[in-house]
Amino acid sequence: MRRYSDRDRNEPALPRTTPCGRTRREFIWEAGGGFAGTALAWLLAQDGFFSNAAQASLTSAASPMAPRPAHFAPKAKSCIFLFCYGGPSQVDLFDPKPELTKRDGQPMPNLENDPRFESDAGRTSGKPLLGSLWGFNKHGQSGIEVSTLFPKLAECVDDLAIIRSCHADSFAHGSGLLQMNTGSLRQGFPSLGSWVTYGLGTMNQNLPAYVVLLDHRGGPIGGAPNWSAGFMPASYQGTQFRTSGDPIIDLSPRGDVTRAQQRQQLDLLAELGQMHRERLPRDTELAARLESYELAFRMQQHAPEAVDLSRETADTLERYGLNNATTEKFGRRCLMARRLVERGTRFVQVYSGGGHLDENWDAHQGMKANHELHCAETDQPIATLLKDLRERGLLDETLVVWGGEFGRTPTSQGDNKGRDHNPRGFTMWMAGGGIKGGQVYGATDDFGYAAVENKVHVHDLHATILHLMGLDHEALTYFHAGRDFRLTDVHGRVVQELIA
Amino acid sequence: MRPHSQNRLAIGALAVVGWLLLSGMARADETYGRHQFDDETRGHWSFQPVERPGLPPVSDASWIRNPIDSFVLAGLDEAGLRPAATTPRTTLLRRVYVDLIGLPPTPEELDAFLEDPSPAAYERVVDDLLSRPQYGERWGRHWLDVVRYAETNGYERDGLKPEAWRFRDWVIDALNRDMPYDQFLIEQLAGDEIPGSDARSQIATTMLRLGPWDDEPADALVDRYDQLDDVVGTTSAAFVGMTLRCARCHDHKFEPLLQKDYTRWRTVFSPLKRPQAGRTDLARDIGPHDQVAAHHAKTKSLDVQQAELRDKVATLDWQVYARASSDGQLALAATGDDAAAKDFSPQIVKMVRDVPGEALAALGHEPGKRNDKQKKLVANHGDKLHAIARELAAPDERGQLADWEQGLANVKAQYPAPLSQGYVWFEEGPTAELGRVFERGDPRSPGVEVMPGFPAILVDEPPPAPLPTAYSTGRRLQLARWLTSGRHPLTARVMVNRLWQHHFGDGIVSTENDFGVMGAPPSNQRLLDWLASEFVAGGWQMKRMHRMMVLSQTYQMDSAPNAAAERIDPSGALHWRFTPRRMEAEALRDAILSVSGQLNPATYGASVYPKISREVLETQSRPGDGWHTSPPPEAARRSVYVAIKRTLLVPELEVLDFPNTDETCEQRAVSTVAPQALTFLNGEFIHEQAQAFSERLAREAGPDNTNRIVRAYLLAYARLPSEQERGTLLQFLNQNRQQIEQDTGGKVTGEAARARALAAMCLVLLNTNEFAYVQ
Repeated sequence: MRRYSDRDRNEPALPRTTPCGRTRREFIWEAGGGFAGTALAWLLAQDGFFSNAAQASLTSAASPMAPRPAHFAPKAKSCIFLFCYGGPSQVDLFDPKPELTKRDGQPMPNLENDPRFESDAGRTSGKPLLGSLWGFNKHGQSGIEVSTLFPKLAECVDDLAIIRSCHADSFAHGSGLLQMNTGSLRQGFPSLGSWVTYGLGTMNQNLPAYVVLLDHRGGPIGGAPNWSAGFMPASYQGTQFRTSGDPIIDLSPRGDVTRAQQRQQLDLLAELGQMHRERLPRDTELAARLESYELAFRMQQHAPEAVDLSRETADTLERYGLNNATTEKFGRRCLMARRLVERGTRFVQVYSGGGHLDENWDAHQGMKANHELHCAETDQPIATLLKDLRERGLLDETLVVWGGEFGRTPTSQGDNKGRDHNPRGFTMWMAGGGIKGGQVYGATDDFGYAAVENKVHVHDLHATILHLMGLDHEALTYFHAGRDFRLTDVHGRVVQELIA
Repeated sequence: MRPHSQNRLAIGALAVVGWLLLSGMARADETYGRHQFDDETRGHWSFQPVERPGLPPVSDASWIRNPIDSFVLAGLDEAGLRPAATTPRTTLLRRVYVDLIGLPPTPEELDAFLEDPSPAAYERVVDDLLSRPQYGERWGRHWLDVVRYAETNGYERDGLKPEAWRFRDWVIDALNRDMPYDQFLIEQLAGDEIPGSDARSQIATTMLRLGPWDDEPADALVDRYDQLDDVVGTTSAAFVGMTLRCARCHDHKFEPLLQKDYTRWRTVFSPLKRPQAGRTDLARDIGPHDQVAAHHAKTKSLDVQQAELRDKVATLDWQVYARASSDGQLALAATGDDAAAKDFSPQIVKMVRDVPGEALAALGHEPGKRNDKQKKLVANHGDKLHAIARELAAPDERGQLADWEQGLANVKAQYPAPLSQGYVWFEEGPTAELGRVFERGDPRSPGVEVMPGFPAILVDEPPPAPLPTAYSTGRRLQLARWLTSGRHPLTARVMVNRLWQHHFGDGIVSTENDFGVMGAPPSNQRLLDWLASEFVAGGWQMKRMHRMMVLSQTYQMDSAPNAAAERIDPSGALHWRFTPRRMEAEALRDAILSVSGQLNPATYGASVYPKISREVLETQSRPGDGWHTSPPPEAARRSVYVAIKRTLLVPELEVLDFPNTDETCEQRAVSTVAPQALTFLNGEFIHEQAQAFSERLAREAGPDNTNRIVRAYLLAYARLPSEQERGTLLQFLNQNRQQIEQDTGGKVTGEAARARALAAMCLVLLNTNEFAYVQ
C-alpha cells in the first residue's frame, strides 16, 4: 500500500511518515533547503546522505522546493491571487441586476431555488432590496458589462473569464477566509499556495516559492492560518513580504552590525562548526544547518532585489499608480507581484483590504464610501498588472485570480445602504495562464443573491486553479494522520468551460 | 442544569433508571468484536496482549547495566553490530540535563559532577534532576504536544480559553508528583466522573476542550460534530495510537477501524456540552460535586432572599414617593419651581433636583408595571431614588426600610466565596442520547444507532452499558477504566514508547501515534513489550521508567558515527550509538536564556507574553490584539509558560518547528530553513540575549579574553575549549573589534569596540550546532 500517492512521480522511497511531522531524517531531507534546497541537497549528496538509489533522482527532485514535474502540461507557471478580503459586492461590480434595481426598496422575496434560504441567519429575509448604486457599461469585443467603479479594469474585460456563480459555505469572515484559502472551514489545513508549491516546487531557489503581500491596514481576520502549510512541513507556508523596509522580517543585520561584521560571524560559525564536525563527521543534519546560515546570507541580497522598485522605469511606476496616494499602496503590491513571478515565485497572494469593516471590502456600514474607496485603490493597479504581464509575455503563463471570501447580499443593511455577507452567490474572475477570456460563466438569480446556473463552488475554483497549473486535484495528495488528504477533499470539478 | 444537593436522591434514582434503560439498549445493539476481522488482521502485533519476554542471551554480559541493554545488545548482535563506546562524562552530563529538565548544566554543576569520581555520581545526578520542578516543565511540554495544547480558539476572533493554563500547570504538577500514568489518563478523560472528583481532577479534563473552536460556525450542527471529531481524533491517537479519525465518514480504508467504531468512541464524548454565552467561551465552577451543588443551592437561595427583600424595598419606595408626589408639587419642585419647593424641606428639594426628572417619574410607577425604560432608569439611579424615598418616609416606614436594608446586608454577607474556575466541558446528567452512524459523515443523514464503546478489533464482545454517576453518564470513566485495566494491548505500549522517543530521539515504533497495521513496525518489539510490562508492573510510574532508560548503557553510549554501522542501520533504530539531535524550540530558547543569565526560574501560574516585533503583530487584523506584552523579567520565564495563541506564535518558537496546535502532534518536525538563521542572527531576542551573555562574561571572567572564552564554553557547552578553539575565538575578537572600529570610522574604539566584539562572539556561540544539539 502506498503512503505517498505521488511518490513514484517525484520521490524515491521514503521512510514512513508520522502524522504531524515526518520521521526526522526524511524531514531534514525534504525541508532541508528552505528557499534554496537544491544547493543543500547537493551538499547532502556530497556527504553521502542519500542512498545510491535516491541519488539517482537528486537532480530532478532534491528538496521540497525543487522544481517538480506537473501531472500534465501546465497552462500557467505562476499564480497571482488578488484577494479582496471582506467580500466585494457582486451586484455592484460584475453582475448587473435590472430586476434588483427595479424593485429597490421592496422586501426580498423568498427564492424557491435556494433550499437554504432560511438559514442565512436573517441576513436577507424581511430586508429591503437595494439596487446597485452604480451603473454598468458594456466593454470590449465581448461586450461584457462592468460597473462604472472599475473603468480601467473594464478595458481588460476581454481577458477576463467572469464567474458569476461562485458559492461558498460560510457567512463569517473567519471560516470563509479559511475555506477560500485552504478549502476547509476548519483551521489547520494547508493553503492553496502550499499545495501548489508542494506539487510544483519553485523556479527560483533564492526566493520563497509562496509569497503573501498583506494590506497596509493589517492582516485579514484569522491571520497566519490563512497562508499556513497546515499539516505539511513549514517550508510550504506562505512567506509574508512587506512592501517597505526589509521585505522579510529580520532579513538585514541588526542595529550597528555591518555586513562585513556579519560575514566575520558567519566565518566563525563555519569554523567552529567544522571543528565540531570533526568530532561528529558525516552528520548531515549538522552540515545542513550550517549551510542554512549561508543561504540566509545570500537571501539578504536576492530578496531586496526582487522587490526593489527603483529598478522600474518612471513610466511603469506611473502606470501602476505609484504616484497617486490612493493607488500607491496596492499598486506597489501588484508591481511586486509581477517582479516576483518574473523571478520564478510560484504563488503570490496580494491582499486588498485588511483589518476590519471599511478597512476592507466589508461594506456593512454603507456601500458607497466603502466600494468607491476599494475600487479606486485597485482599479488602475489591476488593469496595469494585466497589461504589463501581457506586454512582457508573462500573461500566458501567469494565472491571475480575483475575488474575496464571499460576496454581499442584494438587500440593504443598516441606515446607510450597506450590504451584509453572502456566500450563496458571488463573482470571481480569472485571467491569463490558460483562461479563455472575454466570457461570463454561470449566473445568479434575478436579484444576484444565489448562484443558480453552472454553479462553481470554492472546491471547483481550487480544482480549476490546480488544473491550470498542471496539477490533478484528485491526484495531488498528502498522507497525514492515517490517510491521504486533498485540497478539494472529496469534491471539486475542473470548470473546463473557463479554459482556452 | 445544576443539580442541587436536596435533589441528589432523585438524581441517583434517575441514574439507575438511565442505567437500566441503557442496559436494555445494549441488548438491542448488535454484537461486535474482533471476530469480525480475518486472522491476519486480528493477528497484527499491537492488538495482541503484552507478554513479558525473558532476557535474551547477549554477546557481552559486561556491557549490560540493566535489562534494556540486554534487549538492545541482542538486537545489535543479530544485526552484527557493536555498540559505541561510553560517552565522555561532560557530554553525558549535558545530555541528561537537557533531556530531563530541558536546561544545560551550570559550570558549578559540571564541577560538582566531575569532582565526584564515584560510579554512583551519575545516578545521583539523575535522581536529583528527576526531583526538580524543571523536570515537569520539560516533560509536561512533550505531553502538551500530544494533546494539542493552546490557550485560544483560533478562527476569526481567536478568543481566549479562560483558565486553560491551569491544565498546563496540572500536567507539570502531575509529572513532578510522579502521578501514575493510569491515573494521569483517567483524570484527563474523566476527572469529573471518578470517585473523589475535585477541582484538581476536573482541571485535568480541560484536555478534552483544548481544540480549536469556531465561535461563529457556518453550520452549527456540523460544527458540533467537528468539535467531537477533534476529541475523538486526539484521544484515540494519544491513548491507543489509533487513527480512528479517518473512520468519520466511512470505514477506515487501511485499518480495521469501522465507521461504527468511530461513532462508538464519539458517543462516549457526545454528552459533553460547551459552557458558552454566545460567542464567549466560558470557564465553569469546579470542585467536589457536592460542594459545587451546595454552593449553587446556597447562592440560589440567597439570590431569592435578596430578590424578595429588594422587591419589598422597591414597593415601599414607590408607595412613599407616590404618596408624597400625588399633588404634582414635588415633580414641579424638582424642575426648579421654587414656589412648589416651599412645601418641602431644602434637603428633599436638593435631592430631587439631583436626579433626572424621568427617573423620578419612573419611581412613581408601581415596580411591577414599569416598562423596560423605566426599569433601567430606576436601576441606574437606584441609590439616589432610594435615599429620596427614605427621606420622605414616615418614621415607622423608615424603620421598616432600615430593617430590610440590614436584612440585605446580612444576605450579602452570607454569599460563599467564589469557587475555583476550570476550562472544562460538562454533562447535563446521568442520561444522554446514543450515537448514530452518519452516512458519509453527514449529521443530517443519521443511520443506525450505536452504544458508547470501543473499536471492535480490540474487544471480544461489546462492553456493558456504562454505569452513570449522579452527574454524568459514566461513559468516559468506562473508557478510561478499559484503557487502564492493565490488560489493554495498546495503552502501556503507546505511552512507554513516547518516553523512549523523547530519551532516544525516535520511538521504538517510530509512528508514535499510529500503532495500526499502517504504522511503522517496532524496531525491537521484545524491548517494547518488556518496557510495557515493566511499566504496568511498576504501578505505571513514569519517573521509574525514565530512571531505567537514562541509567542504561544504551543511553550512555557515545554519539560518534560509524560508517560500517550506518550501512547496516542508517537510521540508528537499533541503537548502536546515541543519535544526536537538535533541541526543541523551547529547550533552545530556555538554554539561551539560561546561558545569558536572564532565565526567570519562577514556576507555575498564568501565561506570559514575550515581546513580539511590530512587523509580526501587523499580520493580525488588529495588530497586538490579545497579546499583552509582559515586562522583561516575566517574558524571560521558561518557554512552557509562554502563551500559546493559535493565530500568533512567538517567532523564536514558531520558526523552530513549534507544532501545529490544531491537532495532536506526537513528534516535532526538525526542519532546517533559512528563516531560522535570519531569526537567530538578526532578531531582537537573540541580540538581547547575546548582549546579556557578553555582559555576564565580562562580569564573571574579568577583562581577559581567554578567561572570557573559557567561561563562555563552560556556560554554553559544559566543557573547556580546545587550544585551537581558543585561538580561533581570540582571533575573531581581535578582527571583529578592528572591523567595528573601521566600520564606525573610529567612533567606536577601545573598550566599547571590545564589548561589541564580545557580544558578536556570544551570538555566534548561541548559533553553533554544538549549542543547538544534544550529542
